[in-house]
Amino acid sequence: MRARMHAALGGLSAAALAALLASPAAAHGVAGNRFFPATLATDDPAVADELSLPTISYSRTGDDPAATELDVSGEYSKRLTRTLGVSFADSWTRLKSPGEHAVSGFQNLETTVKYQVLTNAEHEAIVSVGLSAEWGGSGSSKVGAEALGTVTPTLYFGKGAGDLPESLAWARPFAVTGVVGYAVPTRAHELADDPDCPACTPLRQGTTRTVEWGLTLQYSLRYLSAHVKDYGLPSFVNQLTPIVEFAASSPVRNAHGQRTTGTVNPGVIWSGRHTQLGLEAQVPINRDSGRTVGVLFQVHWFLDDLFPRSIGKPVW
Amino acid sequence: MRSVIAALALLSAAGLAGAAAAHAFLEHASPRVGSRVASAPAEVRLSFSEPVEPAFCTIAVSGPLGFAGVEPARAATGDRRTLVAPFRRPMPPGRYLVRWRAVSVDSHVTQGDFQFELKP
Repeated sequence: MRARMHAALGGLSAAALAALLASPAAAHGVAGNRFFPATLATDDPAVADELSLPTISYSRTGDDPAATELDVSGEYSKRLTRTLGVSFADSWTRLKSPGEHAVSGFQNLETTVKYQVLTNAEHEAIVSVGLSAEWGGSGSSKVGAEALGTVTPTLYFGKGAGDLPESLAWARPFAVTGVVGYAVPTRAHELADDPDCPACTPLRQGTTRTVEWGLTLQYSLRYLSAHVKDYGLPSFVNQLTPIVEFAASSPVRNAHGQRTTGTVNPGVIWSGRHTQLGLEAQVPINRDSGRTVGVLFQVHWFLDDLFPRSIGKPVW
Repeated sequence: MRSVIAALALLSAAGLAGAAAAHAFLEHASPRVGSRVASAPAEVRLSFSEPVEPAFCTIAVSGPLGFAGVEPARAATGDRRTLVAPFRRPMPPGRYLVRWRAVSVDSHVTQGDFQFELKP
């Protein structure tokens, strides 16, 4: 009886392990043959246990006269289940305008809940939905942190080109990812100074709603060597992903003269065993977006690989 | 700032100590990915970036009409990062598709496929 029970328990354990291992869900942004690296300027589509720390950005603002801006950011993402995660992000900013003392402080805290709706291995596709909240007033107004919070429902997607026909095999290492969110302030109206009469009573005006959107185009040399053609390049080279990111913010309601701002970021990502390094140039798309080309650098940590049995696994 | 630096040092130490495993990505294959080979290879050999659990890994190969497939995958002698699956004979000329699924020792699952061609 006991032996039979042991055998049954052993069978159940083996079945549970096999079922666990058979699940297509995995940390990182993996869908079939495709690994989507964590991107620097836009959020990648996957739910994962990861830490982006630090992300360092240096640029000149679109103000007149332009200020130099240094941002040091961090984001911690944690899986609650295999497909549901939360993240916490904040930035420290230092602004220096010509002829003035530098000011520094933290931006508003941002939290995001993200659910990975779809993972399709055959078509190398991931789709997620999320809800981000910027906690107004949690940062320093000296560096532009708004007193008003925003809530942003967001759609994330990623699609690899691995299902292209054989005649286009050279293009299979390409992938696109994207994000589009609608940022809604937590109040419909706010009081603003009249630029023509600073001494007058502040004007009551509608708060600006924006679409936050971004796209990336990436070419994975790892995909090329492992799935299309191995040219015998060194491992370091095969771990590179040349990438172009585009991140923008477009006012869609109560613009008050604001225009779309954003940057185009050509760069490269190196994906190692436990970390990822990314370096990009930030090219402003117009004068409002910045005066010169900036630089963006990120160290990204795969917590699911570093700590697979503790903080790197889902809570449930 | 000190706590941030301490956290980064801890993460670096964890990675450098090698205590952590990672996803097993394909680093090299024989026959080489996308290659054209002149003679029938004895086996398909896949080398991964991480040690794998052979019991949960699979290699399947499809080929031209008359191809008999491969033996079950096993670990290469003394190398837990490499899987080997001997080809069954015959191996007619033509295009072959290798599909693999690997489970690293920390249970992360990866999969992939690639082609090679056996010249007439």
